[in-house]
Amino acid sequence: MSARAGAGPAERYATILTGAALAFAGLRRGDPVGALVATAGGGLFLAGAAGVSLLERTGAGALAANLGQDAVGLLPVADEPVKVQANVTILAPAQTLFRFWRNFANHPKLFPHLERVEIEDARHSTWIARGPGGAEIRWRSEVDGEHEDALLSWHTLEGAELPHRGSVLFLPAPGERGTQVRLTLIYHPPGGAGGRAVARLFGASPERQAGEALRRLKRLTETGSLPTIEGQPHGSRGLRELVG
Amino acid sequence: MMRALCYNGVNDLRVERVPYPKILDPKDAIVKVSLSSVCGSDLHLLDGYVPTMKPGDIIGHEFLGEVVEKGPEVRRLNRGDRVITVSVIGCGECWHCRHDQWSLCDNSNPQPDWTETAYGQCGAGIFGYSHAFGGYAGSHAEYIRVPYADHGCFAVPEGVSDEQAVFVSDAVPTGYMAADMANIRPGDIVAVWGCGGVGQMAIRAAWLLGAEQVIGIDRLPDRLRLAQIKAGAEPLDFTRVDIHDALMAMTGGRGPDVCIDAVGMEADDDAGSVQRLYDRTKQALRLETDRAMVLRQMIRACRKGGTLSIVGVYGGVIDKFPMGAAMNKGLTFRMGQQHGQAYVKRLFDHIAKGELDPSYLMTHPMALDDGPEGYRLFKHKADSCLRAVFRP
Repeated sequence: MSARAGAGPAERYATILTGAALAFAGLRRGDPVGALVATAGGGLFLAGAAGVSLLERTGAGALAANLGQDAVGLLPVADEPVKVQANVTILAPAQTLFRFWRNFANHPKLFPHLERVEIEDARHSTWIARGPGGAEIRWRSEVDGEHEDALLSWHTLEGAELPHRGSVLFLPAPGERGTQVRLTLIYHPPGGAGGRAVARLFGASPERQAGEALRRLKRLTETGSLPTIEGQPHGSRGLRELVG
Repeated sequence: MMRALCYNGVNDLRVERVPYPKILDPKDAIVKVSLSSVCGSDLHLLDGYVPTMKPGDIIGHEFLGEVVEKGPEVRRLNRGDRVITVSVIGCGECWHCRHDQWSLCDNSNPQPDWTETAYGQCGAGIFGYSHAFGGYAGSHAEYIRVPYADHGCFAVPEGVSDEQAVFVSDAVPTGYMAADMANIRPGDIVAVWGCGGVGQMAIRAAWLLGAEQVIGIDRLPDRLRLAQIKAGAEPLDFTRVDIHDALMAMTGGRGPDVCIDAVGMEADDDAGSVQRLYDRTKQALRLETDRAMVLRQMIRACRKGGTLSIVGVYGGVIDKFPMGAAMNKGLTFRMGQQHGQAYVKRLFDHIAKGELDPSYLMTHPMALDDGPEGYRLFKHKADSCLRAVFRP
């Protein structure tokens, strides 16, 4: 077993994410229980940001290593990829949708955590995302399959913190209903307990991310914008005002 | 700053000062509200049966006003237009909107997660109707922002008064759609449960769509009287007669061909009835969210092979649903939130021709500052209140 001085990047990120999620959920409750949850979450967030390994401290990491189990959920070790899929039908021709998707510079409109995508050449691009706390995450990606107006697939290149591959399929929907779009994302959990924790976190959220991306694609294509209530008037939210 | 009627907690409404609405999307318009009606469905929100209300939410979804500002992509409206706005928000571009199923709009709900989780798919956003339905600010305010304004706002034709037009936002199309969905045939007898604003309009619409006879069911004498005098229904008071026996006597034992539910999840029965106690208890314990007395009565009374048309609002789950009766009697169920955009023009035509006059629903015109009192009167059906309508 290799010695570790602190938390690895994957574990740090997991801690930050969990902390932020708990803190937010806690604040939203707006009651004493919520305050407790929020406090705990805030602590985790700080621990993550400071690089303190909670797994080492609690000994859960060592226990997990001995039992060959995941430190967080004590699940059996599984190095199998995590696969998520989302489907949507959009009232637009496949060509329109394919072109939108193929221009990766459009992707920050679909994935809110993406800051920008830099196109290098026809097949290669660099993706820049912001994690909670503003930490920059970047990875490179390569297109490995392309059938015009029908299918696009890609994978991340060496060095990605969360290696993954993805594909998007455009099929004509029956009866003039437009185009059926299927987005598949396959994540390869990085090694180590912390890495698996990241994968687990993404295991809960990529599905939402995939679904949300397709929903945004649909709304942007069909109506030109995303519906919003940001900035509309409301009365006093009471205690909730602090967190919106 | 402007005044707005805000939800603050269960049955706690307050008039607050809030910022003016702004154009947030190029397809938005801002409407200066001149009339804004209460609606029975608001009571479900105020009573706490629709989760996802937040303190500070502006309620109200049935309104008339004047376009005072429009986004750069609004083409069909002009500043100064006198308009009504359909309560249910449709993008106008998705498959459902293109097929006149506006309340099933795929795109107008900015917060689709709740309904997607609870219902499998999300429906349209609705003004002032909880965050599950989008969290849009409502119309009990001096001004309101209307998204997808080209599709939701309709200029009121000459010859239709404000007092008639305001109800074309919701009560009239909802009642009309109830009768329309029922596919009324010559000779059909239609029974309408609930003689509130929507029920009154459903009765009138049933006549317009060719019903042979229309029966209105309620327990409030004033509402039954209006159903009889204004809408032309045979009134039935469920506290005085056994509804099932009465309906059989009025239909030669066949049962009504069409049964319309204009009541919804807070149905009431005789004060002493066991069924009422059962449903109220389970609802209070949150074992069922919606009381189903009207539905059970309709299923039992409806003619074999008849149609149930449901526009009273349900939000969650119901209990003791007599599926065996529904199945073995071969009943057809139609239901849904109104697709108002599909009906507005037809309804204005009916009003202009004098075939339909919804203005009598407005029993209590009031100032916006009297909002909490308006809802109190409406909720308790006090002072013969059918609809309180605010003039902000």
